[in-house]
Formats: sequence, C-alpha cells, structure tokens
Amino acid sequence: MSRAFGPLISPAQLAEHLDDPNLVVLEVNERPLVYNQGHIRGAHNVDWHVDLQDPVLRDVPGAAALRALWSRVGITRASDVVLYGDQHNWYAAYGYWLFRMFGLKRLAILDGGRQAWLQADLPKDRDIPAAVSSTPPNPKLDPSLRASARDVVALVRAGGNLVDVRSAAEYRGDIIAEPGYLQEGAQRAGHIPGATHFPWELAIADDGRFQGPDRLRELLRGRGLDEGAPAISYCRIGERSAHTWFVLSELLGMRDVRNYDGSWSEWGSMVGLPVVKGPEAGALPGSVPSLEAA
Amino acid sequence: MIPEPPSPDGAIPAIREELARVRAAMQRIEAALTLLENGPEPERPARARTRPDRYYLVLLGVYERGRQGVDSEQFGRLGAEHGYDRRGLGGYFVGARASLRRDGDRIHLTAEGLALIDEYLEAAQA
Repeated sequence: MSRAFGPLISPAQLAEHLDDPNLVVLEVNERPLVYNQGHIRGAHNVDWHVDLQDPVLRDVPGAAALRALWSRVGITRASDVVLYGDQHNWYAAYGYWLFRMFGLKRLAILDGGRQAWLQADLPKDRDIPAAVSSTPPNPKLDPSLRASARDVVALVRAGGNLVDVRSAAEYRGDIIAEPGYLQEGAQRAGHIPGATHFPWELAIADDGRFQGPDRLRELLRGRGLDEGAPAISYCRIGERSAHTWFVLSELLGMRDVRNYDGSWSEWGSMVGLPVVKGPEAGALPGSVPSLEAA
Repeated sequence: MIPEPPSPDGAIPAIREELARVRAAMQRIEAALTLLENGPEPERPARARTRPDRYYLVLLGVYERGRQGVDSEQFGRLGAEHGYDRRGLGGYFVGARASLRRDGDRIHLTAEGLALIDEYLEAAQA
C-alpha cells in the first residue's frame, strides 16, 4: 500500500492489496454473527459490544484493553488498518473514531462497507484467522475527538454546529428509538436545543457508498451547517454519530469535530436537561445548571 | 546474581505487555470466581428456527443490502436466488408480525424481520 492511506478505500483497491504484509482488515458489524456468513479473506471479527467498549462502565475501553485487542488482530506501528462492516459502516466508523482517538494514524474505511464488497461480487471467506500476538503501539487517548454533555452546551452557546444525525421521528420526539432498538432507550424523546437535523444517511449515495465532497458540502449548506465552525455530532448511542464524525472530520477535513458518544441515551435520561420536541432546533435556556457553572 | 536492568526504551513496552497479561489473567480469575459463587448459568437452548433456511436467507439478503432496503426488482431477484417464485414472496408482508414492510418503492426489514435474522444467525452459530 502506498504511503498515502485512507480515509477511504474502495473494494477494488482493497482486493488488490489483500496480501500486503502490513494490511490489517477488521470487520465490525451491528450484528457480529453476520461475519460467520462469510467475510473478506483475513479479516478479523471485532465485536463492538465486547471489544470496543468497557465491559463494566458505559465508556470506551481502557488503553490496556485496546492494546490487547490491537495485539490480537496483529496491529503494529507499521500497519495499514481497514475497517468495514454492515449497516453502511456504522460500527466500523465507531471503531475508526475510537482507534483514531487512541492514536492510530493509518486507518481507512472500506467505502460502502460489507454491502459494497458483496455487491462487487468479490470473494467471501469463512476461514477465521488465528489470533496474532503483535507488538502494537501504545494507545494514548486524545480527548479532543470526544464530547461530553458539558461540551455540547458550550458548543451551542458559542454558535458551533450541533448535529443530530438520527431519524426525523427521533429528532422530533415522536419516538425514542426506532423499532428493533428498544435496548437503546432513554427516559425522554426529542432533541438537544440548538441541534440541527442532519440524518447520517444523507452522506450515503444510492449505491451505499459515501457521497463525494462537493455533494457533502452542498448538503451541509442546505441544512445551514457552517463548515468553518466546530462541530459535535450525536445520535442515540454514538455509532451513527461516529459515522457523521468521519464524514465531517475525515472526508471534509473540518477542524474541531467531536463525537458525543453519550448521545441521546445519556442526554434524554439525565434529570433536568432541556429537551425540544418538534421539527424546530429550539434554543438552550438561559442556563443549564447541572452542566454550567452558576 | 542481580540481572542487568534493561534499558528504559525496551523496558517500558515490555512492562506494559506484562501488565496487560496480568490484567487479562485477573479478568479470567474474576470470571471464574463469579461462576463458582453464582453457579453455572442455565444453558440456553438455541432459539428454534421455525421456517426453512431459505426464508431467513432472503431476509439476510435484504439486511446485507443496507438501511436503504431493496426495490421490488431486487427483492424478486433475491427471492429467485433462494428458490422462491415472485408470487410466493407476499407472505413476508402479511400479518401483524410481518418480517418486511413496503415504504413507497422500497422494501425494509421490520423489527420482527431483524429478530428473525438474529434467530437464524444464533442457530447457525450453535
């Protein structure tokens, strides 16, 4: 693989480089068992419930756990890491964001994900690669890629882009979660005051791949988002918002883009936080005492 | 004899690796202790599949095409790949527990359809 690498790789490019010694391919699915139905040759299955979260706290994994994962899948300082998955790369994007936040540089997403690989009729493999025991780099958390509820309030006050990437029904507060996702609930429905609705799938073209940069910029402008201002994306649990983080930060090169991984399942359950229902963005009240100093 | 201390450059990664191994061992011990304290979990039988494989494979085919679903043409082809006549595909849309729904010209999985896919994947795993 050339020294220029990422943030996207096409199925054809990946197929061509599958035997590169520094390549590490990881499949990260919403449904991890889909991997067993066939996957890209040599790809390791990364279970986002197990591998990409702390097993006890609601949090990202610690550096030691992440290092153990990187070692198991064979990541070294020289690796080119490609992530892909089902559902248009929702969870692969979450993995990308997480790995970037912990310092991995040479990362790429397979454009179109698992779906694009299958549609291109590229071969599927059922052999499960053995665990490796590589010496990976030491994960070091860069907190500037992650937002807390407090950061969200500060961003809205400063006039930044708060981007709600959920469905229109979730944004309006008609539903808390889409059917089939009852485990991702919250106590209240609606959106964060000041949030612009920019559903994640706007970034996806009809063929399942990412829209080109010009089209993405047009879509952002169409929703009133300012490419020159800081941004925070959120959804329900932080994976769709990682997808939009990837679009804004990695595909469009916007600076100061953060993923609020607590997202609606946190905001919509915290006592006393303001919520807007309906299609309008709304505005934060004069103060949010639990998140702002008096 | 006291061994020569390694250079700091080499020692830090080695110590980190050792620490990761110790942590992993602690997690295994903790899990084993929990098991001893609480007794083994009752074995869960894999959910029984109630339909032929091809029924699930059509649903899986829709899932593999992503959140945008499929159009009628693609759905017909998907059915044919698994031996269904186009007219035999209507059953997917019928009843309160239908596994697929139509949104305009697109066909999407329902929550029931997603649950059936999980059922199939779990049974395939067992």
